Amino acid sequence: MAIIRSSDLDFDTIKTNLKTYFQKQSEFNGYNFEGAGLSNILDVLAYNTHLNGLIANLAINESFLNSSQLRSSVVSHAENLGYSPKSKTAAEATVNLSLDTTDTATAVVTIDKFATFTGVAEGVTFTFQTLEDVSAVNDGAGNFSFQTGAGSTSIPITEGSVITKTFIVGETTEDQVYVIPDPNLDTKTLAVEVFDTVTSSTSNTHNNINDSVRIDADSRVFIVRETPNGFFEVLFSDGKVLGKAPEAGNKIEIKYISSNGADANDISTFEAESVVSVSGVNYSLAVTTVSNSAGGSDKETIQSIKFNAPNNFTSQQRMVTSEDYTALISERFSSVIDDVAAWGGEDNIPKEFGKVFVSLKFKDNISDSVQSNTKSKIVSELSDNLAIMSIDTEFTDPIDTFLETTTTFNFDPDQTSSSLENMQSLVDTAIADHFTNKLNRFDSVFRKSVLLTTIDGLSPAILDSGMTVKMQRRLSPTLNTVKNYTITYPSVLAEPDDVNVIIQSTRFLFSGGVECVIKNKLGSNILQVFNNATQDILQDNAGTYDTFTGTISLVGVNIESIVGGDTIKFTAVPLNDDTIRPLRQYVLQHDATVSASAGTQDFQNTKTTI
Amino acid sequence: MPAKAYSLEDGNLSNKPIITSQTKTYNDIDLSFKKKTTGDVFKKTDAAAVKQSIKNILLTNRLEKPFNPIFGGDLGRFLFSLDTEFDEDDVRDRIITAVSKFEPRASVRRVNVEIAPDFNSVLVDVVFQILATEEQDTLTVSLTRLR
Repeated sequence: MAIIRSSDLDFDTIKTNLKTYFQKQSEFNGYNFEGAGLSNILDVLAYNTHLNGLIANLAINESFLNSSQLRSSVVSHAENLGYSPKSKTAAEATVNLSLDTTDTATAVVTIDKFATFTGVAEGVTFTFQTLEDVSAVNDGAGNFSFQTGAGSTSIPITEGSVITKTFIVGETTEDQVYVIPDPNLDTKTLAVEVFDTVTSSTSNTHNNINDSVRIDADSRVFIVRETPNGFFEVLFSDGKVLGKAPEAGNKIEIKYISSNGADANDISTFEAESVVSVSGVNYSLAVTTVSNSAGGSDKETIQSIKFNAPNNFTSQQRMVTSEDYTALISERFSSVIDDVAAWGGEDNIPKEFGKVFVSLKFKDNISDSVQSNTKSKIVSELSDNLAIMSIDTEFTDPIDTFLETTTTFNFDPDQTSSSLENMQSLVDTAIADHFTNKLNRFDSVFRKSVLLTTIDGLSPAILDSGMTVKMQRRLSPTLNTVKNYTITYPSVLAEPDDVNVIIQSTRFLFSGGVECVIKNKLGSNILQVFNNATQDILQDNAGTYDTFTGTISLVGVNIESIVGGDTIKFTAVPLNDDTIRPLRQYVLQHDATVSASAGTQDFQNTKTTI
Repeated sequence: MPAKAYSLEDGNLSNKPIITSQTKTYNDIDLSFKKKTTGDVFKKTDAAAVKQSIKNILLTNRLEKPFNPIFGGDLGRFLFSLDTEFDEDDVRDRIITAVSKFEPRASVRRVNVEIAPDFNSVLVDVVFQILATEEQDTLTVSLTRLR
């Protein structure tokens, strides 16, 4: 008897299997003719099996986080791991607001919260608004400069519309969840107030459970989660666990910002939508941008949820290991941060016990004030609550280490219609793409063979390739001051050589306007200052470099000015340029200005002409 | 191992009379699904099986059969066209093409088409020959719009 395989999903294969079965019997032989009745029955059977197979396949796929395709399934799996996928995030800008009036009698002017401003990005107008009252004191000449409640003249304005939803709580047995049918909701802006009655004016504030550190019987928390159709729903305690629950007849007022996400980023000009009345006279509000709008982001993607949910589960809402810091900071602040690196003080150079070092790579156009605010929030909202006592969080800036590459390749013109110049351009682009896509992040290791494999694969005309790699750090010295400097590379440096220089700087002015460079003495790790024109030694011992720690120590150097830029580039030869592993806060970038690629024509002719 | 024997009453089929039936070339299920007194469905054999198949082909519209969108005579389309847009020859060509394409057991010998525009109907007689037996048979199909 023919075996009917149940694992096939394709309609034709299933039908063929059924036909194979019928070949073994003699009762009916019309199965092989498309018009026959039996063929129609086989169609129905195969179609049914096909559909059942597909449904089973889909159902099994959707049962696991890694193989889920539907956003609703991914979100559901993430919630089982205690991870709330990120909603849209509203962009934020900071502005100075002022009024220029002729009124000297009015002492204070207050602008209520939700004052609106407009800004344009790529032809689309977006609305921004203040989220708190701002006020200004008359300077005596009728001029008002507005400040936040905390006294800052940098006033944050947030993109989006403020929406209010009101619900009346039903009987406890109804087990209500409160649906907000708005896919653009920014969950971070949710404000939930519960009033005793519909007409009551006093209310109790409920906080997002994700922001709660400890919950007792008197806590008032809410849970917000994404629904399968992409909307959101708000849930409360049942009154037994997770604190107090709203009671029947209460009124729930939910306010939030409905945002356009990333579309409203990078707006530089804002205009006030309404005028301000001072003693009955309307004045236009002058708006000066302090920082462009930034931080707006779209809903977290499926891929991102799949990556972040397990990491977040691993951290278990506590900050103990470096991965915990990375996971929690990434989760909370991904709208402004591209990448996070964290390491313990025992791994730092120099070692500093009792500290955790965190380096943040902010997205482009994130203002200094937002960066500073983000660091404060990381400490106040995360590490103060979730980290081990007496362990301090210290922020360090990312350190860019540039790689200088010299690429050579053999090129057979018979294999392609491209010229040598085009091929060199292709190689340069491939190197630039490699650094942009594969590196330029924390913990991204440069592996020469991977890049060379990419270059070899660009065209059959590229027969082989080679590369030398040097590391470059940039120093911004204090000019006209005798000073010591330390420059650290992320990798072990080459041993001194009698022929080749290991350390080499770019030009600067030294000792009365002489154009100089710093190089190591051949065969030694001592650094010397050379006259760039004559190669005379102007300072015999300007410091040393340490091979093992990858550190340059400049001692007592007085730099008068820098030639051709605002930094001095220090290039060092690594001991092993096959792999350069950026530890801690190092980020590898490519310096295309001092990198080059050169091809050599190779017709692959192996015969010798005598 | 000894062969197990059962009485005729208990359904010992190995004791059937030797002369039982003649071999049928084509066997198919009767799509009317009428059942015999035994509860089994009737079969269609030889010319009747092919005739059922041709009828099935002619009455199937294109895109109707799953994963085989070009299958069918697609005659129903004529019923929803103006009578000035097609004539008997169009219907005849369509039938000959469909049968030759999807029914290799038969060859169409003659097709008579009668279009009755006043009644929105087409009456078709297909005379075909079974290739294996050279037996001829006629299929009459009447297509009428219900609305």
